[in-house]
Amino acid sequence: MKQKKSLFNLWNASSLIILGLTILFILYPLFLILNKGMFDPETGRFTLQNFYHFFDRKFYWITLRNSFEVTIVSTALAVIIGIPMAYMLRRVKIFGSKFVQILIIVSYISPPFIGAYAWIQLLGRSGVVTKFINDTFNMNFDGIYGFTGIVLVLTLQSFPLVFIYIMGALKNLDSSLIEAAESLGYSNFQRMIKIVIPLILPTIFASSLLVFMRVIADFGTPMLIGEGYRTMPVLIYQQFLSEVGGDAGFAAAIATLFIFVTISLFLLQRILSRQYSYSMSALRPMAVQQSKGIKNILSHLVVYFVTFLAILPQMVVIFTSFLETRGGQVYTGNFSLQNYQNILFNRDLSMITNTYKMGLYAIVIIVILGIFISYLTVRKRNMINSILDTFSMFPFVIPGSVLGIALVFAFSDSPLFLTGTVTIMVVAFVIRRMPYTIRSSTAIIGQIHPSIEEASISLGASEAKTFYKVVVPMMMPGVLAGAIMSWITILGELSASIILYASNTQTLSVSIYTEVIRGNFGNASAYSAILTVTSILSLLIFFKLTGKKEISL
Amino acid sequence: MSVSINIDKVVKRFGNETVINGLSLNIKPGELFTLLGPSGCGKTTLLRMIIGFNSIEDGKIEIDNKVVNDIPVNKRKMGMVFQNYAIFPHMSVADNIAFGLKVNNLSKAEINKRMEDIMKVVRIEAHKSKKPDKLSGGQQQRVALARALVIHPKVLLMDEPLSNLDAKLRIEMRNAIKAIQQQVGITTVYVTHDQEEALAISDRIAVMNGGVIQQIGKPEDIYSRPSNLFVAQFIGTSNVIKGKIETDESGGVFVRLNENYKEKMDNLSEIKKGQEVIVAVRPQEFILVEDESSIKGVIESTMFLGLNTHYFVKLDTGEKVEVIQDAEANEIMPEGTRVHLKLKSKKINLFDSATEESLIKAGG
Repeated sequence: MKQKKSLFNLWNASSLIILGLTILFILYPLFLILNKGMFDPETGRFTLQNFYHFFDRKFYWITLRNSFEVTIVSTALAVIIGIPMAYMLRRVKIFGSKFVQILIIVSYISPPFIGAYAWIQLLGRSGVVTKFINDTFNMNFDGIYGFTGIVLVLTLQSFPLVFIYIMGALKNLDSSLIEAAESLGYSNFQRMIKIVIPLILPTIFASSLLVFMRVIADFGTPMLIGEGYRTMPVLIYQQFLSEVGGDAGFAAAIATLFIFVTISLFLLQRILSRQYSYSMSALRPMAVQQSKGIKNILSHLVVYFVTFLAILPQMVVIFTSFLETRGGQVYTGNFSLQNYQNILFNRDLSMITNTYKMGLYAIVIIVILGIFISYLTVRKRNMINSILDTFSMFPFVIPGSVLGIALVFAFSDSPLFLTGTVTIMVVAFVIRRMPYTIRSSTAIIGQIHPSIEEASISLGASEAKTFYKVVVPMMMPGVLAGAIMSWITILGELSASIILYASNTQTLSVSIYTEVIRGNFGNASAYSAILTVTSILSLLIFFKLTGKKEISL
Repeated sequence: MSVSINIDKVVKRFGNETVINGLSLNIKPGELFTLLGPSGCGKTTLLRMIIGFNSIEDGKIEIDNKVVNDIPVNKRKMGMVFQNYAIFPHMSVADNIAFGLKVNNLSKAEINKRMEDIMKVVRIEAHKSKKPDKLSGGQQQRVALARALVIHPKVLLMDEPLSNLDAKLRIEMRNAIKAIQQQVGITTVYVTHDQEEALAISDRIAVMNGGVIQQIGKPEDIYSRPSNLFVAQFIGTSNVIKGKIETDESGGVFVRLNENYKEKMDNLSEIKKGQEVIVAVRPQEFILVEDESSIKGVIESTMFLGLNTHYFVKLDTGEKVEVIQDAEANEIMPEGTRVHLKLKSKKINLFDSATEESLIKAGG
């Protein structure tokens, strides 16, 4: 609609710069993965050799089946737990429901591998609960490793996402819709089937697919608690590490396979969400009601129990971080600050400072790029920006471990030798966690009426001045809300970091992982506690900034 | 100091679709000129061409006899009031109003003086340090007006500024806008789809439909002598009845409504004997009579409005008309009553059946 005077204005220049960065840091590395996976490194010819190799041996292909098994079961369980939890909290007056919601959100924002680690402490081979069961009932329970363990951890980690989505959908469900059905003679049950479920069905779909993507790409949980039960991300990591001697192609081929799986899921989700979505906004949302008798007691019991399970890992790591250990491995049963003394004073502090430092660099870049990308894709629709829009969702599709090895492939040689540097870590953080900021920024631009910008221009401000005096300040609440979610998830980033880190760029989550692997549970707990407390504090800032006690994703 | 706006054969295309094709218009200095039409008629498109948010594909727009086609919006110095006011929500009332002054690098003293002046004019001083979300719709409207006027624009453009207000506030604000516009004396282009608002506020109105101007004139002229059937029906209520032109030996011209009833017309332009016409009759242009030489019908329903009573009458020809009678005349006639109607021949309008253009002589 606007007159284009010069092609090289602020917008086109920033489009091109961002496109350039996208090509360099996302497309080129991914291309290398496909290339290495499908072309013979010597002859340069197309080959499916690596894929034959994968499907030839059960040792390999079983991981694909395992991945789908844990993912399908965990997703189903997350939905089965998430929906009734959301419905109960929206419909029944639960004592302390605000607090319950915050606890569930806290459990959601903590990295899954902390959950895995905490559950090992409880139900692992020498876990507290395991010992108790074995001593009391004289059994030989060997801990919940493998399938059960992964499903337990990932279900508890994922149901909050379904819960948050359904809470949002129910909030937008105007109670007059239900009342209209009631006045037309529909019973309580019929209203549920005919009105409520159909209206939140798109949300159920969308959230379960998101859970599916998260779970299938999760690396830390199966790595820690899976033991012999290996999933795709674990296999990719192991192949990559053992690849030193030679077979980069095989790791790349598995990664390629994995990308195809996640891309198909992503496309499916896009198609479904486009086809089945209603725009609703409730003038009068569903009201909570005081329930009576058995229904009331049951609702409270279920809500409290599920919330307790969800938040248990955080409590466990904080509690055990204050326990004295012998040799860092065995708890003596006394309280002490020994673990903190160990990690803060007896060794290099850099894991902690690295995390905050690199996280901060990443967040600054994320905020700047996020503002530009969301503005360009919403307001300045053209071909380049549509491409950017699509690519900005790519990180949802690419599992962290795949991104990790893609970056290693791309930046291990001159001219761009970045492996082991702070830069490569920051790049990985930015790529993986930017979507949170972009989503939230895009949403807020949608709420800014274009006439606001026109008003500014009509008063004599240039487009650039309008952008930073009017648009950016108005976007800030949304950008910051998204940035905090990016920040919190950066703190817990493990799957790409574990591949990319070097001794001078080790992060908290990598430290937790390595300490757990070494069996230094005391130190791992103390690191986890620091990470958890930082996340919770960040979340509180988020609440303060948005003025809400809920998050929408 | 007020300026004129000359729009000369402008063309607007969106992609392959031509929305406005060679439209011309002259707006006089200091007048409040309204673009009126149904939604999609091109009125907002034209307004946004004047300010520059829409490009001009052909033709030219002159402000003060200078072509502005290629001047960017932020250099055109036009004040615009938006439908949703577009108040910056992160700035106070004073900061909103000062925005255009600051960006134009005016001196502090000048800014303060102009701010005080304009806030007095729009009566918003009491709220100057408030944030916009603490203001009522009418107050936001005043802020938007002040913000547009304070930069001393050459012209003021208003895009449906009252459509977000409730009925009572709308009338209050339209009076305020009219008063402020006269006080400032600025050439103003006002866009609305509300014909009553247009009649109330404008010096002149251009009625638009399908990207084409149907008629330009003073409110009273447009109402009483619409130039075509569209204008007659869009502005106010017009009943439409079929008729035929007749002449007699002495050169008298008549419009015949049925075998028994014809009405002498003194103000028609070129007509042909036997020509089919559309007779447009305002509800208040019917007279109730007892005469058999008249239009006959039956009252289907009535609506009492205090000041007057509306009767919905089904004519014997099957046509349905609305008739207004002042309340002082007799008591309300019940539904089912047979009525006889005559027309006020000096008031009614005749249109050619085929072209739907007016047959009334200019000035008639």
